[in-house]
Amino acid sequence: MISRTVSTVVAMSVGLLVLADFFVNADSINALGLYLIRTASIVAAFALVLGMVNVLTVHLGKISHRDKGWGYSGVLLGALFLTLGIGFMAGGPGSSWMQQLFEAVLFPLEATLFSLLAFFSITAAYRAFRVKSLETGLFVTFGVIVLLGQVPVGARLWDQLPVIKDWVLEVPALAGARGILLGVALGAAATGLRVLLGIDRPYVN
Amino acid sequence: MNETQLVLLLFLVAFLPALYLSGRRVQKGDSPDLRSIPAFDALRGVTARAIETGRAVHFSLGVGGITGDTTADSLAGLSALEYLADQSAAADAPPTVTLADPTLLPLAQDAIRRPYGLDQEEASRAAGHVRWIAPEAAAYAGGVMSILGMEAVDANVMIGEFGDEYLLMAEAAHRRQIAQIGGATDPNVIPFVFATADQTLMGEEMYAAGAYLKHKPWHIGSLLAQDFMRWFIALAIVALVIINTLF
Repeated sequence: MISRTVSTVVAMSVGLLVLADFFVNADSINALGLYLIRTASIVAAFALVLGMVNVLTVHLGKISHRDKGWGYSGVLLGALFLTLGIGFMAGGPGSSWMQQLFEAVLFPLEATLFSLLAFFSITAAYRAFRVKSLETGLFVTFGVIVLLGQVPVGARLWDQLPVIKDWVLEVPALAGARGILLGVALGAAATGLRVLLGIDRPYVN
Repeated sequence: MNETQLVLLLFLVAFLPALYLSGRRVQKGDSPDLRSIPAFDALRGVTARAIETGRAVHFSLGVGGITGDTTADSLAGLSALEYLADQSAAADAPPTVTLADPTLLPLAQDAIRRPYGLDQEEASRAAGHVRWIAPEAAAYAGGVMSILGMEAVDANVMIGEFGDEYLLMAEAAHRRQIAQIGGATDPNVIPFVFATADQTLMGEEMYAAGAYLKHKPWHIGSLLAQDFMRWFIALAIVALVIINTLF
């Protein structure tokens, strides 16, 4: 009970101080706000250690129980220790060995995975473009207009298509996006205020 | 005080009383009728169906954490996760939770542990279902695709902060015909959610999990306050346009 009260008081005080730092131009409050934000970054860095312990626990468990795909867990742990070893021996993440590891292994793998997005977009669009309701009908209509308006053949079919495409993107699409963003901003502000006022306390579960 | 600070101060001055008064109103029993959001109805049935089929529910909290601009998205995901954890604890079938930002790890583990109360052994075992995959979006998506492709998953729930990697994970789930509930606030990701998920939480709907799933008075109150502020801002925009046009 006492730890819950202390956690709540600390969280609310820190939140209010950082909020005050945004509104007040006083050196002492600004310095305190900066210190608290830096402290949060350090705490976040420690969370990475927790994450590594979690990875070890999950994958060692998979290997010891011979779960489906346990061999992949072995490869993952091998890669983890190899990267850690190279990092320690070569002199940290800025070293040329680590840079090589990132540029020759990690970046190409990431690029390969994200290149699949093009194909996945087509299959997802194929399913989404099946007209099942008024909403999907509108989705298809505007999708086709924008697609045709983007390519030269659209202008050849009808010279007004690019003009309509620009109107769609600049008026209804932008208005919709702004409406969504306004709602999101209000929802995020309400969530933040609930935490700040101690109504929601995700830190004392 | 500059213009941004002044506008935000005005916003807070209007929002705080609205939040307090709406919350008090709901606490006294004057609760409004909430419009139906099918994704929350679907979330209520996800655990029961997973228990019947003997498969797991996969819950993705996305690539966000609790120290960035999208903390609210992560907290919204945690709110939905708490509900699923409460439901699944009764049948001892906790969801498989994945995340990319390790700052969320203790919170997600707490959400899964909490329903077990003082039964530390069961709570620790359940917390083992929370997995940190990788901090990079592509690596995280790869890890989740592997879970969806290789493990027995009945439903895929993705609520949190996402980028383009959302589509990679959602398509992996679709290939195995796994039921999907998706939520995102980024307008660039929402089309992916719309195209792939069976039920969707778009934009601000995501933040309403506490009100819809747990009927928390202050969460319902904050929905009322948000509606009030939306009208306030819309009227302010119209009034400013008229003033600027006339003077």
